[in-house]
Amino acid sequence: MINGRLIRTLVVKDVTLIFKNRFFAFITVFGLVAYVAIYFLLPRSLNDTLALGLYAPAVPDVLRERLSGDGLDLTLVDSDAALQAGVLAGDYPVGIALPADMLAQVQAGAKPQAQLYLTAELPPELKEAYTVLLEEIAFLVSGQVLTIEATETILGPDLAGRQIAPRDRMLPLLAVIVLLMETLALASLISSEIEGRTLQALLVTPMRVQDLFVSKGLVGVGLAFGQAMLILIITGGLSRAPVVLAAALLLGALLTTGIGFMLASVARDMMSVMAWGVVTLIVLIIPALMVLLPGLATTWIRLIPSYYLVDTVHRALNFGAGWGAVWQNLLVLLATAVAFFWLGMAALRRKFQ
Amino acid sequence: MSLRRVAVLLSKELLRGPRNFMFIFAVVAPVLITLLVWLLFGTIFADAARLGLVDEGNSRLVGLAQGLDALTVKTYPSAAELEEAAANGRIDMGLVLPAGFDAAIIAGAPTEVAAFVWGESQMKHRVVVGTAVTRLMREIAGQAAPVEIVAVILGDGESISWEARLLPLIVLMSIILGGSMVPATSLVEEKQKRTLTALNVTPASLGEIFLAKGLLGMGLSLVMGLLILILNRAFGQAPGLLMLVLFLGAAMAAAIGVLLGAFIRDINTLFTVIKAAGILLYAPALIYLFPTIPQWIGRLFPTYYMIHPVVAIVQEGAGWADVAPELGVLVALILALVGVIAGVARRAPRAEGQLNPA
Repeated sequence: MINGRLIRTLVVKDVTLIFKNRFFAFITVFGLVAYVAIYFLLPRSLNDTLALGLYAPAVPDVLRERLSGDGLDLTLVDSDAALQAGVLAGDYPVGIALPADMLAQVQAGAKPQAQLYLTAELPPELKEAYTVLLEEIAFLVSGQVLTIEATETILGPDLAGRQIAPRDRMLPLLAVIVLLMETLALASLISSEIEGRTLQALLVTPMRVQDLFVSKGLVGVGLAFGQAMLILIITGGLSRAPVVLAAALLLGALLTTGIGFMLASVARDMMSVMAWGVVTLIVLIIPALMVLLPGLATTWIRLIPSYYLVDTVHRALNFGAGWGAVWQNLLVLLATAVAFFWLGMAALRRKFQ
Repeated sequence: MSLRRVAVLLSKELLRGPRNFMFIFAVVAPVLITLLVWLLFGTIFADAARLGLVDEGNSRLVGLAQGLDALTVKTYPSAAELEEAAANGRIDMGLVLPAGFDAAIIAGAPTEVAAFVWGESQMKHRVVVGTAVTRLMREIAGQAAPVEIVAVILGDGESISWEARLLPLIVLMSIILGGSMVPATSLVEEKQKRTLTALNVTPASLGEIFLAKGLLGMGLSLVMGLLILILNRAFGQAPGLLMLVLFLGAAMAAAIGVLLGAFIRDINTLFTVIKAAGILLYAPALIYLFPTIPQWIGRLFPTYYMIHPVVAIVQEGAGWADVAPELGVLVALILALVGVIAGVARRAPRAEGQLNPA
């Protein structure tokens, strides 16, 4: 039978001790503020169009409308001077000026000059992209056609024109970092208690081993889950699929608490907690980087348990995925969380008994 | 001051140092960050659209596409692998070029190609891929561009890549982690384990202990600074001058580390101070990341005088005359820090016979 009063006392003691550690108290508060600041400093939207200014007095309206279609953010101007001013003012990165008599010159077999206005800040790959675009516009103006038909297949959700903002891609990474930082605090607390033999001293009181693990588990899960949820609340991340997100973060907190127990079982002091913790942190963060760099995703990533947390958080946060879409992830996460928690308890029990 | 005792203490540091977490971290972290920067800026932050191709014939389009800066081109052996790459976001768009593709284009015969588009790809990348591929097809078909393009550069700005902007931060990090954190943690640990008190009752003076720990930090800092510059292929045209600047930078970092170690009692406080004060140490490199911030603000921070000469030498080809004033300030700062350390070393034994033990 679990002793509720005893556990409450232990939880209060542990939380007090964690916040007495200046380093962990600092990074907990500083971390929360910093992560929220990073989120709000990142762009709130992603403009995924190719912007350009166009001065083309001789281009038919039909073609202008065609150019203004998907993917091109076209600004039409009335003069060459206005076009250059727009580039310098940063209204668009590139300006294209086609001569007024372009069509007549082409029909006469001449090769007219077209101006491509740009600034030196434009990366070389974009400069070439705009050059190719200008050539293609010229081909279209001159009426030269190609007889190629492309059969397009869009794979995955089509986000054209409604890209995920960089800040929202970053959010799963921030949530995972918060969970893991609290793991280090818990591991540091437990290892110092083992090394200081206060844990063994506690066991000669009416407290039993299971009370100890329940209280440490509650502290670890509570602190990690609470802070991750706080970040999502402040950043508005809970506006879509809040229950799925809460479930994923709760299981994530259980997983990281188990990892915290394991770290505490191998570490002797704060330095070794940091040493093992940083290695663990790097491994567990890899799946979160895959959300930032989707092209790098490979199948072995699925061997890292945090993949199931990150993928669920990403899909629920950014696509509003419900239970039906992520239940398999949650099931794997639950299984690994329970396994790590149990392994962590076993490792700790071996160390102090 | 006995050089022999300093050498004995340094050899002990060299033997035990590599087993310390901070030593390993100081070696591994800058290398990992360099790799991460290559990874990030070679992929997500590069604005080149990614095109995948399956060439079922022997199309010229593959070679032509690979020659374009606007595209990052990958080839795949089968349509299934191309589709998987597009589904996983490894490419923005994939095209299957059928056998006889070039001949069909040249003949003007209607031709069909299968295109796989990654749903999350940006519209501008789809436009660039589509336009570039069309442009290359026209080239294969023998269609000459109907216009001559004249590129006109406006304004006097310059393009600074993110890799170049981040280099000062990574170099500064490698210098500070090795130079400051290693001696600081070593001193604090010695205090916590009371081995500093034990050392103090031997003929070794506090000044000699500080010097040995500082030399270890300096050496590590210098090696890591050099390694990071080599990894980033940023060694500049004046290696002798660069070595001198790195040497002085490492000396300043080591002096900061020894002072931190002398004044701070425990590891928790040390990490807290480093976390809180880190922004001051890294501020010049953070300011350099954003050219729109007035760059003179960086001069207010001491580490500016160690990192700006490095950047000037490796990225701007600066020589002695260009960096001499900043090196003068750097030497003055090092002398001031060494003066404070000497004061601490002289007074501490007289005051309590040991240095603020934990």
